[in-house]
Amino acid sequence: MKYLSKSITEIHNALLNNEVTPLELVKAAIELAKNDTSNAFEYICEKEALEKVNNLDPNLKDSLFYGVPVVIKDNFSTKDIPTCGSSNILNGYVPIFSSEVVLRLEKAGAIIIGKTTLDELAMGGRGTTGHKGITYNPWDKSHTHLIGGSSCGSAAAISAGIVPFAIGSDTGDSVRKPANNAGLVGLKPTWGRISRFGLFPFATSLDHVAYFTRNVVDSAIALNVLAGRDDKDASSSFKEVEDYTKGIDDSIKDKKIAVIKEIVNSVSDKDVIKAFNDSVEGLRKAGAIVEEVSMDIKLLKAIYPTYIIISCAEATSNNANLDGIKFGAREPGESFEEVMINTRTKGFSTLIKRRFVIGSYSLLRENADELFIRAQKCRRLIVNAFTEVLKEYDAIYCPAAPGVAPLISGSGESLSDEYLIADNYLAFANMSGMPSITLPIGFKGGLPFGANLTSKIFDESNLLNIAYNLEKVTGLKDLVAKEEK
Amino acid sequence: MEFEAVIGLEIHVEMKTNSKMFSSGPVSFGIDPNTEVNIVDMAFPGTMPVPNKQAVINAIRVSNALHMSIDDTVIFERKNYFYSDLPKGYQITQQFRPIGREGYLTINVNGEDKKIGIERLHMEEDTCKQLHSWDFSLLDYNRAGIPLIEIVSKPEMRSGEEAAKYVEKIRSIVSFLDVSDGKMEEGSLRCDVNISLREKGTEKFGTKVEIKNLNSLANIQKAIEFEISRQSIILDFGGHIEQETRRFDEGSKETVLMRVKTDAVDYKYFTEPNIAPIKLSKEFIEGAIKTSPELAEHRLERYKSLGLNDYDSSLLLSNKETSDYFDEVNKSGANPKLIANWIIGDVQSYLNKNGISIKEFKVAPKHLGGLIKLVEANKVSNKQAREIFEHMLVEDKDPELYVKELGFVQVSDEGELLSIISELLDANPNLIADYKAGKDRVLGFFVGQIMKKTQGKANPSLTSKLLVQEIMKR
Repeated sequence: MKYLSKSITEIHNALLNNEVTPLELVKAAIELAKNDTSNAFEYICEKEALEKVNNLDPNLKDSLFYGVPVVIKDNFSTKDIPTCGSSNILNGYVPIFSSEVVLRLEKAGAIIIGKTTLDELAMGGRGTTGHKGITYNPWDKSHTHLIGGSSCGSAAAISAGIVPFAIGSDTGDSVRKPANNAGLVGLKPTWGRISRFGLFPFATSLDHVAYFTRNVVDSAIALNVLAGRDDKDASSSFKEVEDYTKGIDDSIKDKKIAVIKEIVNSVSDKDVIKAFNDSVEGLRKAGAIVEEVSMDIKLLKAIYPTYIIISCAEATSNNANLDGIKFGAREPGESFEEVMINTRTKGFSTLIKRRFVIGSYSLLRENADELFIRAQKCRRLIVNAFTEVLKEYDAIYCPAAPGVAPLISGSGESLSDEYLIADNYLAFANMSGMPSITLPIGFKGGLPFGANLTSKIFDESNLLNIAYNLEKVTGLKDLVAKEEK
Repeated sequence: MEFEAVIGLEIHVEMKTNSKMFSSGPVSFGIDPNTEVNIVDMAFPGTMPVPNKQAVINAIRVSNALHMSIDDTVIFERKNYFYSDLPKGYQITQQFRPIGREGYLTINVNGEDKKIGIERLHMEEDTCKQLHSWDFSLLDYNRAGIPLIEIVSKPEMRSGEEAAKYVEKIRSIVSFLDVSDGKMEEGSLRCDVNISLREKGTEKFGTKVEIKNLNSLANIQKAIEFEISRQSIILDFGGHIEQETRRFDEGSKETVLMRVKTDAVDYKYFTEPNIAPIKLSKEFIEGAIKTSPELAEHRLERYKSLGLNDYDSSLLLSNKETSDYFDEVNKSGANPKLIANWIIGDVQSYLNKNGISIKEFKVAPKHLGGLIKLVEANKVSNKQAREIFEHMLVEDKDPELYVKELGFVQVSDEGELLSIISELLDANPNLIADYKAGKDRVLGFFVGQIMKKTQGKANPSLTSKLLVQEIMKR
């Protein structure tokens, strides 16, 4: 089956020309999912997908998603399909309702063939903390490099060529970071652009629905389906939905793009810098005005700690319903307190509990001024600084990460500028709600790496237009990690 | 030593909106446990709160009635604590920006008006109902998420009576505004009392005791009176008051210790991130106030202008349903004073006798109005009207139909009556002389004879008038 590694438009044309049927596509995708070696799946929806595809409404034939197999990160509620957020505490939980994004995809004719692994409850950036263990990077057959998280399974499934589209969620960089590591296009639209109803909340003020495609046009096609107000999510915007594919291939002549000097300087990998500089030259050749802009390095270094405090604080509250009384596999106890303590002790992994402790500690009355409230003030300063840049520029353009996917054996944590800035700055777009897209710009040692573009809120059309032109500059699109024969 | 009580009240009012504070789940009472809940109320992972517009309108109306300044930005906070009554593990409330701030209401104690300051009014969601047994607990999530307003007074009440008057006024306001049933006994209005004592004439507050489980106005007053005497005795003997929570025991009419308060719980408040701050336009706030149902005090003014006295007005205004019924009957154009008499008298005694509320009263207001108008027009006598009313209680129909059915059409034709009267007077010249000599009871005899002749259908007041007029002519 050659179609599953193609773009959504190509698959659509193949369906219209009767080269392939939705059933064949879905069966092939399920077969690939079953043979997946990356640990990308929590659950393969074989029965459910076959039933859906057999009852597919032929009136949807003109929809670009008609008959297209897709995967959903397992922190999105799916009716009658187990959803556990890769956490033991929700083992066996079968939701009675579907997330809004799932409903919209189904309405467009997409077929969900699987639920994908994640870092437990989306808290993690390495794709290693889900209850099923490490999710591997299909680009690295030796399984020594990370794919990154938390949307690790979705990234793995699409880069392995199982599906052309995968839903993820992005609270810090949980789609845009794995996109860097897996040669994918990862888009996190503006906060409020896509309904989050049904997404298990991690840190509500930072959580976004985001997704992977293999090219920029597919990203625009998906946004056309997913964007829009949903009365079930009070934070979803009433702002009119545009046709995001329209004008995507327009020239970017005279568009102004800012490169943040301090972010680029925090990257030590010369090959990454070279590829990045080449892409900047390419953008200039395409007519864009690319300029270097300076930003207070203290603010850039503050992004990660600010993110940690706010996200952990919100996470402790957001997961308080998983107490063994309402949700979560109940552990016995003599009192309700004991039931809650025993359930949560057993149900959550150490890393999650660590985050809850940090969050709870930051919110305590005696610490809040110094931690939580200070983090909120800091967030405001960070957002203001980036907003200021975007008053003058159409987009901010920087490397998406320090380089290719890191080693699984590495600790991943240090207080170097490279770690604090290059490896973690993308959370600024979660703090500000700005639309942000990562796409591949080069390869090193057989592994892809990418760069990131971010624009003003609700400026997705402009962002996708610049991203499309960048994709033309690099020529890197529709990348799929090939199985070694 | 002479002590002064310092009393502040926290009142929770359950709103009777169609749906819950943050979900489309229905608001209902007395339904089977855990049947009136939806995925949001049960905090299914991934569900999100959506604020109830009517609840905001209600909160604005109550704030306005309490002369409070209204915040034009609605922001909610999370109050985090692990307890079984919270589906989400936190409650959404308004900790830092209550919608209403700094107001007052006026109570009347011993004929004197007293203003009681109100610190804040905020919106929040109710928790689930719990039933604790010694070895298990039952949880009913029907109540979880029902919209509440919490009204916090300043510590400006000094007696149980003042506190009871204050609660009574709040209850009247929320029920006349259609915000709540305001039923203490059913928990739709719940009141916690904070009370401390201090030496009269001093300013410093004493140690505060909280009293819970107060389900009637009378119990509020009793609990406070008991607590004042309990604390006075302790202080008189040189003891000191523990900061504690007590509950009122209905059997013994005493407050009993529930728990000693340790350090206040840290609720780790932070802004509810699912609901971006909502800016209320001036038009929205003014619209909510302008379309607000009429308060009891405004109805009182209106009733006075209709010519009702204070006593009748206050009886009609003792609850909203009675007042509403009066207003409906009044639309018929019947005399307001007569309407009030009928409602306070015949209607109320029927309700009392049958132990029902006016909400369950079957006689349509327009029918009662029609009946009163028949009396006013002298078409039926009061006695006949009561008989018709009895029939209406059995089957509510237009009273005109009963007038015909019961043959109550009065002879009000002056010519016909005059001819009967002359005939009667011609036949009894001696009685005319008696009457003129001062024997008033003769008149009764004549009326009786006329009634006999007309089979009771003669219009009594017209008959008397004509009779006297004819006698005096002779």
